[in-house]
Amino acid sequence: MVFIIPFVFITVFGFAIYKKVKIYDEFSAGVKEAVNFTISLIPCLAAIFMMCELFEISGLADIFTKALSPVFNFLGIPEELTKLVLIKPFSGSGSLAYLTDIIEKYGADSYITRCACVCFGSSETVFYISAVYFAKTPNKKIAMPVCIVLISTFLTTILACLICRIM
Amino acid sequence: MNVIFTAIFFLSLIFITVTAPDKLLTSLLGGAERSLSTALTLFCIYAVWMGLSRLAEKSGLSKGAARALTPLSKKLFKTDNPAAVENLAMNLSCNLLGIGGAATPYAVKAIDELEKDKNDRAQMLLFVINATSIQLIPSTVIALRAGAGSAAAFDIFLPSLICTIFSTAVATLLFLLLYKKRGK
Repeated sequence: MVFIIPFVFITVFGFAIYKKVKIYDEFSAGVKEAVNFTISLIPCLAAIFMMCELFEISGLADIFTKALSPVFNFLGIPEELTKLVLIKPFSGSGSLAYLTDIIEKYGADSYITRCACVCFGSSETVFYISAVYFAKTPNKKIAMPVCIVLISTFLTTILACLICRIM
Repeated sequence: MNVIFTAIFFLSLIFITVTAPDKLLTSLLGGAERSLSTALTLFCIYAVWMGLSRLAEKSGLSKGAARALTPLSKKLFKTDNPAAVENLAMNLSCNLLGIGGAATPYAVKAIDELEKDKNDRAQMLLFVINATSIQLIPSTVIALRAGAGSAAAFDIFLPSLICTIFSTAVATLLFLLLYKKRGK
């Protein structure tokens, strides 16, 4: 699997050489696009991150966690995962921090850890992606797609906890 | 997004005023700082992949890849815009290869193209597919577990695969179902 990325690079470079593309010029032109693109993202990123930080530090995230734990337990999601599951849609680095916590606390091969890993690996930072994708069209009505993604992510979490019990 | 943002922000504001009013400003500044460090990380990823993708584009390689995935893109996204189809195809193939970082710039370019046609449905569908992540190899997680001394760091590979396919499938089905109901 480690060969996928080198393979992609060799293919693209090889093909570009074969087609006599001015590689240095075009590669830098691509990087220039990346510069503009990144700058266009910053306003949205800043707003979202401020919201996430506030949500976390105000203690509201903890309250949500406590309130939802029984529901999660009922659905077969261990309460140790509640925070991870709640934070993941908002923040990749935040949830990564929780994941590292869990691994240290419960050990690398425990049920909780494996469960957390599968949940983490099979979900995305939904709100962050929506901010990036629709940075240029902020007025788009994206509530429904966001809900769809959140629902399916939640169902997947339940499935992940179930699968980890068997496999 | 406006509603969600306002709701969470405002609730947190009220809450922090009660619990820790002195931390309000530091948390906001911290968030802003994180946005810049994230932007820096993102720039590094995009610089590599957008440089490469420019080469693929100029050599005609991405057109080739797009051609292979065109029938699927057309059927799923209902678009005839060739530039959009090309970017959609590249986004899908990056996702399948498990290079998530490379997939994002293509998605954004595709959304730009689709916006020109006012094709909202395709933009939403693209978002739904990407936000549920088809990730073939959960490399971060495996690396973390291996680092913590796991006996079999790879044993979550199959459960992860099942879950990631499940989530994308559920979301896509829900999406197609709901949009059909709306008569679009």
